Amino acid sequence: MKFWEIGKRNLKEIYRNPVLLGFLLGMPVAFMLVFIAAAGGGQASPIAMSVVDEDGSQSSSAFIQTLGSIEAIELNEPVYSEETQAQKDLDEGKISFYLFIPSGFQAAQQAQQTINLELVYKAADPMIGLQVKPIIEAVGSEFLGVAPPLHVELKGTESKIKNPAVNFYFPGIAVYGLMILISTAAEIIAGDREKGFLSRLFTTPARPSDFILGYSLPFIPVLIVSTLIYLGVGMALGLTVIGNLGHAFLIFFLIGLCAIGIGMIVGSLVKSESQAGISWLFIVPMAMISGAWFTVDRMPSALRSVAGALPFIHGIDASRAVLNGSSFSAITLDIYWLIGWAVVLFAAGIVLFRRTMVS
Amino acid sequence: MNAVQTFKLTKKFDGLVAVNDIDLEINKGELFSLLGPNGAGKTTTIRMLCCLLKPTRGTASILGHDIVKTPFAVKEAIGVSPQDTILSERLNCWENLGLIGKVHGLNSDTVERRSKELLETMGLMERAKDQVRKFSGGMKRRLSIAMALVSDPQVLFLDEPTLGLDPQARRTIWEYLAGLKGKKTILLTTHYMEEADFLSDRIGIIDEGKVVALGTAQELKTNIFEMRCMVVSTENITAEVMADLQSKYSRLEISKGRLKIYHKDLDFKGIVDYLHSRGVTVYSAALEQPTLEDVFIQITGKKLRD
Repeated sequence: MKFWEIGKRNLKEIYRNPVLLGFLLGMPVAFMLVFIAAAGGGQASPIAMSVVDEDGSQSSSAFIQTLGSIEAIELNEPVYSEETQAQKDLDEGKISFYLFIPSGFQAAQQAQQTINLELVYKAADPMIGLQVKPIIEAVGSEFLGVAPPLHVELKGTESKIKNPAVNFYFPGIAVYGLMILISTAAEIIAGDREKGFLSRLFTTPARPSDFILGYSLPFIPVLIVSTLIYLGVGMALGLTVIGNLGHAFLIFFLIGLCAIGIGMIVGSLVKSESQAGISWLFIVPMAMISGAWFTVDRMPSALRSVAGALPFIHGIDASRAVLNGSSFSAITLDIYWLIGWAVVLFAAGIVLFRRTMVS
Repeated sequence: MNAVQTFKLTKKFDGLVAVNDIDLEINKGELFSLLGPNGAGKTTTIRMLCCLLKPTRGTASILGHDIVKTPFAVKEAIGVSPQDTILSERLNCWENLGLIGKVHGLNSDTVERRSKELLETMGLMERAKDQVRKFSGGMKRRLSIAMALVSDPQVLFLDEPTLGLDPQARRTIWEYLAGLKGKKTILLTTHYMEEADFLSDRIGIIDEGKVVALGTAQELKTNIFEMRCMVVSTENITAEVMADLQSKYSRLEISKGRLKIYHKDLDFKGIVDYLHSRGVTVYSAALEQPTLEDVFIQITGKKLRD
């Protein structure tokens, strides 16, 4: 159990270091308070709207085009042809609401019958329904050239989210908080190398596996405690957990493992504790393009592809979806992606860390 | 079997030869000192013997275990106190000693017993529960030596073990190390001549990566240092007399009225008579035993702190 002794030492070096803990726990908590206070639960305009066009007729297409020309509304591309996919994306938090145009739209228009449309949204965002309904009614009347028989039905899907701003910002900031583990791990490893403590340990009969476990395992309790603290603070600020908290925890755990792996890589490559500060060059841009602090809906597609290839955006999207009520099956792909990254990063961290043992 | 034996041990860094074909044999229970100026290759030699650096060429064995082929067996047998005082700063004395002891495979009871002994010997018991980052340099060094000893190793490597310690603490450690002579094999590097003189069974003088002299302190002083030294307390010595002496003897030093004359065969009476004949006042004159420092300067042409 030599790894246990090394691990115990490293854990003590972390929890007895107030500066390190301040960064790891204090910064994300401060971010949560600031972002959530700044957001104030409001909704930015224009409103991004998705559309399901079940009718698929010339008339429905022309109606959608008219809707897209309204300044207050920005149409999400592409237009759905089936409601199932839109419903799934709504569940997973990819879209916030959609307008459903049922089949028979053109026929009803021609027959001058009442046209029924549905606005489907998360009940957590009632403002969307109330804001968008009058716009659609106005546009519809103008488009159809008649006063309603147009009927827009508000259809809030089952949701208990109390404060959408908290549920939006929490997952991003929690993932950002776990990304700080990159710098924590890098600083501990690089610092021990710089000061020669690792060399001193290398003169003892501990195996490489003892060092690898001793320098990675202590971050796991840190990761668990951080996640619990973030969740506690999030809930205190009004985070609504609709889905399975265990699934959210699993996502955060996998993100934490990825961060520790990157930290081991950086810590093994740099020469000193101060050089380990270079990890912030990854942390901040990765957090930004992964949507840790704001939505990345309008980010250029090239950047989106980069973010999509990295693990963190998957952690943010999946944890947000799960907290908002998505089922596990909806986030399976994200989980696989995170597991894959965790394995690759940890393996690379181990290989590079091993290389530092004999020069 | 020797406790430590090196076979043409060589280390090059980017073409620079730090350790050059060193062949050393250190007997079991012997206290061997490596003396040398900074950059001579002392620490590099120790780092290779501790399996921290791979030799570029040659090898070494510790108690018969090859440092390249069986590093794990080597590490089980050694204790190391590195040149820089390296401790886990946020751990206390017990925890630092416990870490090294347990990584060496000792059980908790043994670690506690050994730690208690060492903390008492090193005078650290009163502060044993304090985080070591609050310690003075001297206290840290004492703990560092205790960490090298906690596993009760058969071979001990001490790289500048008393650097920066006050004379009292240094004397305590010397006495402790002297008590280990015959029981442990100790290889220490030092800048302090008196330390090497006081402690060592044998001394190796290392310069530019090579062992340039080897023997007991007495052997080095008498055999290798062939010159004798005469010290004359004087005044009113002229440049002309100095030039005359310089032409006759190997080396002259003059400082604050003390003239030192070094030469293989010194004619004590002849020098005093000569000085009198030139009108130089001589208050006293004596033949001086060479010190290890003199030996060192003679061999390497450098002062030890160069």
